[in-house]
Amino acid sequence: MLLDTLRSVVGAAHVVTGVELSPFVIEGHTPIAAVFPGTVDEVAAVVRETAAAGAAVVPWGGGTAVSVGEPPSRAGIVLGLRRLSRLLEHEPGDLTATVEAGHTLAALQATLRARGQWLSLDPPDAERATVGGVVAANAAGPRRQLYGTVRDLLIGLTVVTAEGAVVRGGGKVVKNVAGYDLPKLFVGSRGTLGIIVDATFKLRPVPDDERLVAVGFDRLKDCGAAARTLLAGDLIPSTLDVVDHAAACALGLAGGPALVIGFDGLGEQVEWQVAEFTALVGSLGGGDVATLPPSAWSRLTTLAPEAVALPAAVMSLSVLPTLVVDTMEQGALVARQRGLVSAWAAHAGVGAVTGALQAGADSAAVTAVLAEWRTIARAGGGHASLTWAPLGVKAQLPAWDDAGAAGRIMQRIKAQLDPGNVLNPGRFVAGI
Amino acid sequence: MPALTAERKSWLRRELLDLLGPGGVLSDPDELLVYESDGLTLLRALADFVVFPRTAEHVASVVRVANRERLPFVARGAGTGLSGGCLPAEGGIVISMMRMNRMLEVDYDNQIAVVEPGLVNLHLSWAVGPRGFYYAPDPSSQQACTIGGNIANNSGGPHTLKYGVTVNHVLGLEVVMPEDGRIVWLGGRTRDALGYDLTGLFVGSEGTFGIATKVVVRILRKPQAVKTVLAVFDTIEEASAAVSAIIARGLVPAAVEMIDQLTIQAVEDAFGCGYPRDAAAALLIEVDGLRAGIDGQAARIEAACRESGAREVRTAADEAERQLLWKGRKSAFGAYGRVSPAYMVMDGVIPRTKLPYVLGRVNDIVAAHGLRVGNVFHAGDGNLHPNILYDPRKAGEEARVVQAGAEIMKVCADVGGSISGEHGIGLEKADFMPFIFTAADLAFMLRVKTAFNPTDLCNPGKIFPTKKSCIEVGPMAYRPHAIEEQGLAQRF
Repeated sequence: MLLDTLRSVVGAAHVVTGVELSPFVIEGHTPIAAVFPGTVDEVAAVVRETAAAGAAVVPWGGGTAVSVGEPPSRAGIVLGLRRLSRLLEHEPGDLTATVEAGHTLAALQATLRARGQWLSLDPPDAERATVGGVVAANAAGPRRQLYGTVRDLLIGLTVVTAEGAVVRGGGKVVKNVAGYDLPKLFVGSRGTLGIIVDATFKLRPVPDDERLVAVGFDRLKDCGAAARTLLAGDLIPSTLDVVDHAAACALGLAGGPALVIGFDGLGEQVEWQVAEFTALVGSLGGGDVATLPPSAWSRLTTLAPEAVALPAAVMSLSVLPTLVVDTMEQGALVARQRGLVSAWAAHAGVGAVTGALQAGADSAAVTAVLAEWRTIARAGGGHASLTWAPLGVKAQLPAWDDAGAAGRIMQRIKAQLDPGNVLNPGRFVAGI
Repeated sequence: MPALTAERKSWLRRELLDLLGPGGVLSDPDELLVYESDGLTLLRALADFVVFPRTAEHVASVVRVANRERLPFVARGAGTGLSGGCLPAEGGIVISMMRMNRMLEVDYDNQIAVVEPGLVNLHLSWAVGPRGFYYAPDPSSQQACTIGGNIANNSGGPHTLKYGVTVNHVLGLEVVMPEDGRIVWLGGRTRDALGYDLTGLFVGSEGTFGIATKVVVRILRKPQAVKTVLAVFDTIEEASAAVSAIIARGLVPAAVEMIDQLTIQAVEDAFGCGYPRDAAAALLIEVDGLRAGIDGQAARIEAACRESGAREVRTAADEAERQLLWKGRKSAFGAYGRVSPAYMVMDGVIPRTKLPYVLGRVNDIVAAHGLRVGNVFHAGDGNLHPNILYDPRKAGEEARVVQAGAEIMKVCADVGGSISGEHGIGLEKADFMPFIFTAADLAFMLRVKTAFNPTDLCNPGKIFPTKKSCIEVGPMAYRPHAIEEQGLAQRF
């Protein structure tokens, strides 16, 4: 019945069912169907019809973040946005662009770069990741050190609400305080408040030059000390990552933990900074400064899981920048104490740490280590959530950290905006 | 809202005094007068009480009393806002945050500071300055306005072009919730929030989501080098083209400010900052960052201006010259006093490429109402500040100013812009919201508000279009704000 209605809304060719649903399985749950509307009105109609039939709606971009969060709490359809993939507007003189949610990030960047501009976000998997998904997942990469995250770049969006209304927040201008900042609310909301159908961003000019370099140290602590000295000085790095020995090996660097640092800007600025950096790390006991290929940039965010042969779980820890190296060391220690191997990498300047745990014989040990990692993050005022784990682990340990008293406000927002709990139910923080 | 009886008011005054201590409560009408307006002196409204908490617990206790009595309440900082956002629209309690003005902690290694909301914006930069740091958002009232007020309005300033507005610099907030006075942390000290970005949502909510009592802000390292370029043009069109040319060259200046002829003449009459009186427009452009390459950037900016038709371009030779140029820009509002008894500052945003068209429309609209306008604004991010000059003693002139302002906002909306870039909606522009938002957009926002503020006692009547209003818009309503009279701040 619902399927017939959905077919009449979007056309039978755009409703996927049966065995073809395998790419859309969410944490072991196969959706009722995957539906691909071609217009915003069709998105709205799909939401209304599905909600009326009592099923949930799971918005879907490139599927790159589907492993994040709890398993769905009830059955629903996948609402795929790949047919909403137009670049709606790019006015180079305004340094803004409006793009439909299903446009991939890589395609957007290619178009913009040809015109000398870019969206200064560099999350992993840009070939698959869609603009809507990047916003909903608050995806970021190493250059957030200089350019910030989605919240700093998103200036407007259009969403289809849980009731199938079309709502616009923000605008198309780079400075705007009219009304509540709905774009902020949707960044990282993971499809629980509305379905993002287009987004407007601030852009930046492509830098004249960019360079990624790495330097090895004997100990992780030395990387941390060097990172701190750098941040206290005049250099303006675009990337400031610390990687442990295993992650450094995955990057092709020999000789222990490393500081990976990037510089963007005019040629003259990049040259000067690399020279300053080289002199500085030399005085701090670093090894030779190696230039990395530009392709290394896109691997930095996923380096920790890449560095373990068979991951048992991956966790993101948000901590104060000064606690990054302590977090990595303590995290590795508690894993070792339970006989497990781990790998660590961090966007150190912003305190975004990733730990990956190698699978071992003892699955109880995996859960115990992850719980200890969470305790380590909390001890420094931070928090930690799973970015990937098997269902067995999630059954033992909540995927998201505890949002505390703020969680109650989040639940109230969810209840206001999606009273029927239609949108991506059960997968988010605080039971949302 | 029925007025409080004298007996009830007296009883409540004693209760609030018990909670806050001696000197913590004002209720005498003469004393309340000071709090009847913000920087938009056109609008006025009287509270029943003004209270001065010193702690979050104080704030929470006042909020609980207000809820019990069904009295509206509103937080107020320095009162420099320009949209009537902190007016006690329906009587009730004004909660002044000015005694909660401490710097609680500075963590230089992590480049954050924890402050109370009553801290004056510039005092934060002064406090961390000796260590080579500053707080980036620089609204022009920064000598007086508070961090809490900046949070309510998501304040900007000239340097937001490169560094972003308040929300880009706030990581966490301790907030007293409107419904029950519960004290809750949103965000924290780490960069990434867990769950929804409640901090990002709270900033710019104009005091309708609760009252911030602690703020975690980012502090930045001062740049190694700064260069300031003045470019002088014979037409507004050429000056606008230069803004586009700078952007087209891939340059990201820290600030690009435009000053038009009327404003230049007023500034030169008043202060003599070295702007040519016969110029149609001047651009003040600043680049900052690494010393390496800064001369090259200034040279590229100079070239872009020349190619766009600038008749004169010069880079400030030293800090003294730079300060003089900025003085011309920053004292523009004070200088209007030389050419007009009163003015009303507008705040709108347009796509940068629409500058020549919209500036032309602004001039036409104002002229059609028999008025004059001076423009001094953040051209780099398309944030206009047309200042309509008028004489409040002339019958009907104020009404024409308000009408012209509405028409200018409509033009901003029609070219894809916004009705406020940094001053907020408050009471002033609530009825303009439908220019840029549909009924569905506004209904959605109202639901978000209900999640924070279900009883609507926390700063009611703001942002959303409403028919009811207890606000007085009287004749002779323009008066300089107290801090303007002291020469402490200008409006822009």
